[in-house]
Amino acid sequence: MSETIIESHLAIRKDKWIGKPTKRVEDPRYLTGTARYVADLELPRMLHAVYVRSPHPHARILSVDTSVLPGLGKSVWVFTGQDLRDVPPLIDHVALDNLLRTPQNVIAIDKVRFVGDAVAVVVAGDRYAAEDAAEQLSAAVEYEVLPPVPSVEAANAPGAALLFDDLGTNEIYRQTEKHGDTEKAFAAADRVFTTRFHHNRYGAAPMETRGVLANYERSEQQLTVWSSTQMPHFLRSVIAGQLGLPEHRVRVIAPEVGGGFGQKMCTSPEEIAIPFIALQLGRPVKWIEDRHEHLLAATQAKEEFINLEVAVSNEGKLLGVRGEFIGDGGGYSFNTESALIEPALAAKSFPGPYRIEAFDEEVAASLTNKSPVAAYRGVGWTAANTVREIMIDEIARELGIDPVEIRRRNMLRSDELPYRSVTGQLYDSGSYLESLELAMKTVDYDAFRTMQERLREQGRYLGLGISSYVEQTAWGSDSSAQAGTPLPSHDNSTVTVDPSGTVTVAVSTSCHGQGHETSYAQIAADGLGVDMADVKVVFGDTLTSPYGLGTYASRSAVIGGATVARASADVREQILKVAANMLEANPDDLVIEDGTISVAGTPSVSKTLAEVAYAAYWDSEVRSDEPMLTSTRFYDPPATYANGCVVVLAEVDADTGVVTLDRIVAIEDCGTVINPMIVEAQVQGAIVQGIGGALFEQFVYGDDGQPLTTTYMDYLIPTSTDVPPIEVLSLESPSPFSIGGIKGMGEGGQIAAPAAVANAVADALAPFGARVRKLPLAPDYVLRLMGKIGSPNG
Amino acid sequence: MKPPPFTHHACRSVEEALGLLDADPDGSKVISGGQSLVPMMNLRLASPAHLVDLNPIPGLNGIDVGRGTLTLGATARQHAVERSADVTAAAPLLTAALAHVGHPQIRNRGTVVGSICHADPAAEMPAVFLTLGGEVTAQSAAGTRSIAAEDFFDSYLTTALEPNEIATAVTFNTPNGSSGWHFEEVTRRHGDFAIIGVVALLTLADGRISDARLTIFGGAATPVRLPAVEQLLVGVAAGDVDADLLAQAAREASAALRPGDDIHASGDYRRHVAGVLTARGIRTSLERASARA
Ligand SMILES: Cc1cc2nc3c(=O)[nH]c(=O)nc-3n(C[C@H](O)[C@H](O)[C@H](O)COP(=O)(O)OP(=O)(O)OC[C@H]3O[C@@H](n4cnc5c(N)ncnc54)[C@H](O)[C@@H]3O)c2cc1C
Repeated sequence: MSETIIESHLAIRKDKWIGKPTKRVEDPRYLTGTARYVADLELPRMLHAVYVRSPHPHARILSVDTSVLPGLGKSVWVFTGQDLRDVPPLIDHVALDNLLRTPQNVIAIDKVRFVGDAVAVVVAGDRYAAEDAAEQLSAAVEYEVLPPVPSVEAANAPGAALLFDDLGTNEIYRQTEKHGDTEKAFAAADRVFTTRFHHNRYGAAPMETRGVLANYERSEQQLTVWSSTQMPHFLRSVIAGQLGLPEHRVRVIAPEVGGGFGQKMCTSPEEIAIPFIALQLGRPVKWIEDRHEHLLAATQAKEEFINLEVAVSNEGKLLGVRGEFIGDGGGYSFNTESALIEPALAAKSFPGPYRIEAFDEEVAASLTNKSPVAAYRGVGWTAANTVREIMIDEIARELGIDPVEIRRRNMLRSDELPYRSVTGQLYDSGSYLESLELAMKTVDYDAFRTMQERLREQGRYLGLGISSYVEQTAWGSDSSAQAGTPLPSHDNSTVTVDPSGTVTVAVSTSCHGQGHETSYAQIAADGLGVDMADVKVVFGDTLTSPYGLGTYASRSAVIGGATVARASADVREQILKVAANMLEANPDDLVIEDGTISVAGTPSVSKTLAEVAYAAYWDSEVRSDEPMLTSTRFYDPPATYANGCVVVLAEVDADTGVVTLDRIVAIEDCGTVINPMIVEAQVQGAIVQGIGGALFEQFVYGDDGQPLTTTYMDYLIPTSTDVPPIEVLSLESPSPFSIGGIKGMGEGGQIAAPAAVANAVADALAPFGARVRKLPLAPDYVLRLMGKIGSPNG
Repeated sequence: MKPPPFTHHACRSVEEALGLLDADPDGSKVISGGQSLVPMMNLRLASPAHLVDLNPIPGLNGIDVGRGTLTLGATARQHAVERSADVTAAAPLLTAALAHVGHPQIRNRGTVVGSICHADPAAEMPAVFLTLGGEVTAQSAAGTRSIAAEDFFDSYLTTALEPNEIATAVTFNTPNGSSGWHFEEVTRRHGDFAIIGVVALLTLADGRISDARLTIFGGAATPVRLPAVEQLLVGVAAGDVDADLLAQAAREASAALRPGDDIHASGDYRRHVAGVLTARGIRTSLERASARA
């Protein structure tokens, strides 16, 4: 029977489907290769675009000699920044007055600012011809090479070259904010610990790279853009604005999208340039990014420097923190929330699940001649969690307190929630301590310590690393403001029952692998009382879905889920009204179950949903004034906070520095669980990416600003053989604030795993006094931490 | 990631392939498994005008175990060699090392001979070849010659083969019954090229080390044997190989190398771990040899 949860105005119907680990309805097409991505699309007369990209980190473009190309204007076309000079540059939307802006032309006009910056687009009849021409044209671009700015340090050195001359500085933001009384906290401290941490630059590696296909139908005056994007409606608005088209003449379709992880948020310059070129040529133009190009030109993430001073008592109580968070923004402060996306979000989320009541944050960001930094799963939060959890372990070790115990002493109890953190984040509900305790019980903590001791005597170094986290979710107006980068938000879903009684759910969120077709179908099925198989979820096409911002920042389950639940509830009422007319009963006495409407307690008096829906559309005797069974609902949720704990067990080969992960236990609490199987897989996937950041992944740049990780031989993402078994356990603390008690999830694993790995390594190497100050933990760095070679800073 | 234009020649005989190479030695490239060459072409780091494809040539994929030798034809796939019970019986070291070459998908196409010709200094097969010893059968339109393993590797991706020559086969010497081996490499991830690796082969006679062959790969522009370490070991009774001797061997191994830094590890790391792996190589090889003796 239906069960109503939470306060009535937030209630959703939860019956047979919500909470059930149903198989994902989208998987058959992913697994059989029948899913169609941008690269699979072919249009008549379609042309192929290839970019000419800067080989220099910093240079002035003097000339592009297109005359070297045979067939120019007949079989080959070239577009340079000059050709697109009337297209306005891309600028971030962050509402902060003292943030300097760095307009990014969609193809560079006078200057290039990183290796991979767009210099020209070559278009030809097939990809081979376009690449041949691009190679030729690359040799015909004349540059004046400028001194490179390869790091934040170089950016702020006296006399540093400026990326944007008119700004007069490479540091585009610096701001201090005080929360609570740190003076008092530090005066009261028994000990003060400090650290300087460099969080590595790594990024999303979606299986599908970026790609755009654009076509302008003159007869319809209609521009259609297929893009591998997470935000089709938002992209439509931006394309219309940038290209000066009426928005209703632009349609954006995100076909199957093979992963995004935040990288396919907001606007890639290519998403403007390719439609512009298609308009000019009057032919469909397709650009598919190849992997080499992706590693150069796609946005990167997570690089920042965090300097901390932590005031603690001898009992290990965290009294106050002073933190400096410096982002390395790359060549442009990118339009996904600017270069502050890392440092500002790190600062605001720093307190995590702990009772830290005094905190001074200083947030800064600098431009460097590297690929721009933008969103990647766990924006800012990963770096903050990493440095905080590493620090807590070090403090515990110094004070002789067990790492579990020091967390117990500082963690917020569930009965203290809702709790507003010192930085203004309102934690709605959670199970911070319970997650920690469950994780320790699952790994059998005491037994591990005994074994660790025994094996150390044999020269084997095992370690256990804990990382607790709070994950900010439900990214709407409230959540983005609490994160420190305020942005308005707007999302809708439309639920429609057709005359045959089957259900279409059109959502504004845009799935790129997360399983929305399944989760939303579960919510609609419960909301309406139908079988999941009778629900189809559509998204990713601005023509068929209602307006909304799309999918990013763990927002879809909360926002999309709520809008689907609300619209389903409306349609359910509409159905019951018609059925009541047909059954000559009171709508309040009716129930819908498995697609049959009956009088409660008298199942023999019933109609099938198909009968009712048919009547609702066609039978003028029973239908209402607005007979269509449909509703569109909006939601802009309050922030919700998921939480959990990741524990890593690892072994370090003390002779080679190789780290082997033995076991991972993850506790996840994301409130009401819609589909436990999807939650488990999201946790696992995120942890794998966190392992990447902890052990393998880093975009490396030489001192000359040249990228050194431009293939997957050098940029190392974890593979199945690098990942140990990951056990995921769930706790469920429904949000008292959100519809249905749903919280977002999916980033926690990546937020927490790097620190868990780092802490496991530091724990294993405690006899050597190892202190992790950067990631990844490559074998070379591990031997340095042990003092076996050189210095840890080498 | 598309190669520039080229002509593909599906050869039906070695003679046809040799003729094509001879016609344009500098503009042509032999292709066997394509697992190294094609990525280089896609990145436009190599742009041969002619691809001389050995794959269609009948009979070139032989795996032949003889008395004290193992001969692999140019198109014998890494996977086929890895799965051959005869190879495992004759040269278990080769089987063990093959499991570290990329991934099964790569080994389904890649060839052992191609890997040796490609001569990546961090690759497994060249190091195994140098350790076991043997020869490359090099054919050109002018005739056939043999190149000994120790003369084959010149430098980074460079061998003694002339541009108009094809390695039609590689013959490995297979160790006798009283030897033991060790293969170990440090990689960031399973299946990657080695940061640093060791191949060791020790032979015992009357309880003493009669032959010692140790190779480090990933530590120089080619795989390198460690003569100083080998000299240290030959003639020593198995029971006398103690911690001090292993430490000395490790020092000698480190001292023999001047590896550079790259993004995966520093030269210091490689030198240090070369010593560690050398000691492990000696220890494990001796254990294996003693168990068989
Ligand atoms: C993802 C990936 C991972 C890999 N990981 C590893 C690894 O960990 N370790 C490793 O060793 N290798 C690795 N490789 C490379 C792989 O082992 C190659 O197969 C091998 O290096 C070359 O063999 P091939 O038959 O593919 O040669 P090809 O690619 O066909 O040729 C390579 C070169 O050798 C020349 N050549 C080939 N055959 C002959 C011949 N008979 N006579 C003369 N010249 C010839 C070619 O002209 C070319 O220059 C990896 C490859 C990939 C794609």
